[in-house]
Amino acid sequence: MNRAFIAALESIYPADRLLTREVELLPYESDALTAFSAVPGAVVLPVNEAEIIDTVRLCHEQAVPFVARGSGTSLSGGSLPIPDGLTIGLNRLNRIKKLDPEQRIAVVEPGVINLAITEAAQPYGLYYAPDPSSQSICTIGGNIAFNSGGAHCLKYGMTSNHVLGMKVVLADGALTQFGGESIEGVGIGPDLIGLFVGSEGLFGIALEITVRLMPQPELYRTVLAAYDDLGRAGDAVSMVVASGLLPGAMEIMDRLAIKAAEASVQAGYPDAEALLIVELEGEAPQVEAEFDQLRGIIDESGAFEVRVANDEEERTRIWKGRKGAFSAVGRLSPDYIVQDGVVPRSRLGEALVEISALKEKYQLEVANVFHAGDGNLHPLILYDGREDGALEKAEALAGEILALCIRLGGSITGEHGIGMEKRDYLPAMFSEEEIDIMQALRLAIDPKEIANRGKMFPGGEAPALAQHGMHPLERAGVISRE
Amino acid sequence: MTVSAPASVAELQALVRDSERIHAIGNGSKTALHSGLNGATHADLTKLSGIIEYQPAEYTVTVRAGTPVRELSAALREQGQYLPCDPLLPESATIGGTVAGNLSGSRRYRYGGVRDFILGAAVVDGLGRAFRVGGKVVKNSAGFDLSKFLVGSLGAYAIMTELTFKVFPDVPRFRSLAFDYERLEDALAAIYFINQNIFELDALDLKPLENSWQLLTRLAGFDETLPQRLERFSAAVMSHTSLLKIAELDDSVTLWDPLADLRGAHLVKVALSPKQVPDFDRRITAAQRRYGVGGNVAWVATENLSQVDDALQACSLTGLCLRGAVESAVIGAPVENVLASRVKQVLDPHGKLV
Repeated sequence: MNRAFIAALESIYPADRLLTREVELLPYESDALTAFSAVPGAVVLPVNEAEIIDTVRLCHEQAVPFVARGSGTSLSGGSLPIPDGLTIGLNRLNRIKKLDPEQRIAVVEPGVINLAITEAAQPYGLYYAPDPSSQSICTIGGNIAFNSGGAHCLKYGMTSNHVLGMKVVLADGALTQFGGESIEGVGIGPDLIGLFVGSEGLFGIALEITVRLMPQPELYRTVLAAYDDLGRAGDAVSMVVASGLLPGAMEIMDRLAIKAAEASVQAGYPDAEALLIVELEGEAPQVEAEFDQLRGIIDESGAFEVRVANDEEERTRIWKGRKGAFSAVGRLSPDYIVQDGVVPRSRLGEALVEISALKEKYQLEVANVFHAGDGNLHPLILYDGREDGALEKAEALAGEILALCIRLGGSITGEHGIGMEKRDYLPAMFSEEEIDIMQALRLAIDPKEIANRGKMFPGGEAPALAQHGMHPLERAGVISRE
Repeated sequence: MTVSAPASVAELQALVRDSERIHAIGNGSKTALHSGLNGATHADLTKLSGIIEYQPAEYTVTVRAGTPVRELSAALREQGQYLPCDPLLPESATIGGTVAGNLSGSRRYRYGGVRDFILGAAVVDGLGRAFRVGGKVVKNSAGFDLSKFLVGSLGAYAIMTELTFKVFPDVPRFRSLAFDYERLEDALAAIYFINQNIFELDALDLKPLENSWQLLTRLAGFDETLPQRLERFSAAVMSHTSLLKIAELDDSVTLWDPLADLRGAHLVKVALSPKQVPDFDRRITAAQRRYGVGGNVAWVATENLSQVDDALQACSLTGLCLRGAVESAVIGAPVENVLASRVKQVLDPHGKLV
């Protein structure tokens, strides 16, 4: 990294917040997509807005690429460092600046942990709805960049649907803000929040975010149904949808995922080919009535065992297995790829049959965990990275699953984003002209292409695939993958 | 003024290429949005109409932008579903106009507004390019989400030709309660109480009566659960807020049409937060008004637009004028934004779309 640039950084940061020695940089070389790694030229740890703005302006001036990073839980390699570029670590901007329970809003800095908002809101009977499985560690800044989802998106949407206002510094150093405290968000004029959220760090850095809070449901009713056939679990989802019920979450796990969850967190799941979790939430009288209806549907759906969570502890146990399923798979296999694709819900069954055939073709194990309510598949492809060519084979299988999602009319990513991982698949979903327009938009905001260079768009210099296995935090059980 | 009604996307592309300045219009239900355009060609989109794909099991529907909201709503109703963002002018607007203006009715309170239910779109931009943005499934995070950007864009960045929405199952029954308060502050305190409670209302509006303020509340759900929920809800509000009286009202379309009682040459939408209501309201007492979505949207009808403009400026708020002839539909604090202008530079570099 250029000496003059480092010197300029030194004028912004004290020595303990400007990391340049290799031992200090190594912890930043990967995010949760551990198959990739790259060593940044330097890492800075700003503690306030002004430092971020100065840093971005300096990068723009000197054409040095940067990536903004929170806790590094991206599953698409979105916060992977740019080789010899600058990584801006935002974890220290972790203040909740305002919590207004009367208006149900919170104003937060980008480094605030997702779950910390819910914890702060809880005393007022409120919570922050988007719940990625990494919510105990991922930051709002990262959630904004990737429009993070979670198991409970069906009813209340993803991150984008919960942001009301933002202050941002664009990649060329321009400062702007949009939206505010109204639930209408921007309200008058184009919805800039909708455009910025999910832009994968290519437009700039969110400095301050106003989020909406929701009232905690009075009652949850969580049902776990076991099936001896995966297709039957999928059919049950269609039956629930057709009935007019609107559950807060509907999740399916297949045999291998169940086995992994059992081995890891002993959730006490039944021995089954497929498990379906359906959760209703809301006002108690309404939920009880909906629950009667749901029980009728589940009973008719051919489940061989049905369990109902009778208290918060039982509910937590049901979810623990599901939320920990990904990291649990790490116990079955030295390495695995988490895929994230979407198919129209009614074609879930078809997708699962085809994934099964692909398993045979590639002779690899695939565990399936998915947000069945919105057709969001998360196949986990198991492989052993110590074997020659195993990663490449797993990647090829992952690619075929994405092609399948597009063929069935879905999307190559539901909630993890394109990042590094899927940039070569973008053309499978968008035409050349559409990608050109997105690229032109990026250039209009970031003429030097410094913000998260190398992500989202196909091509560009890629760091070599490396073999790493689980994220260290994941291995320690601190984070899990959605 | 030239009006042209393209019957296909290709015709619209040609029209954009051949025009110097062009303005998209559906049914023209929001007259103020179509005034003051100094002779721009009108692209009448009503021929680009009809449902393209509706799969109730997917909770998604794709329609052409010129489709009347009425037609879309009827098709959804037949399947027991609805568009929870609750388009504002259900009898006269097109769906494209609803998105372009970002106009939701009172039921938007429950699940969200237009931006929360749009999934994707097909558009023609200022260079005449036809392309897609967003996706067609309920969950998608690939590429920049330009579909949400279209919400509120007033046709100034790209003309929508096709729109995909997420839809939800509708609930079978509604009951409506009105709580009257002496002062605006008391009514707002009731909103804050409800905001921090477990009650899931379908709609929550606030309107001034002659000498009091009325909080309109609506519960939705199963027939058999509504009496109990209504009872609990009204008891809680009664014991925690200082109200004058409570009454159950006939639940009707008119009751929940925020514009039903508003008379005046001009009608203005304002996005604001509940805590901005008192300061804004005291400046516009001469106007007819209603605060929707728990005090997050103001609907103001007035003969005196400049008074509303002044009030907006004083409160640093922006308004969108929907009714009457105006020079500019956007009034109050300016909305110019550097990010929006970068998008304009890409999608409409010659400034054709107005």
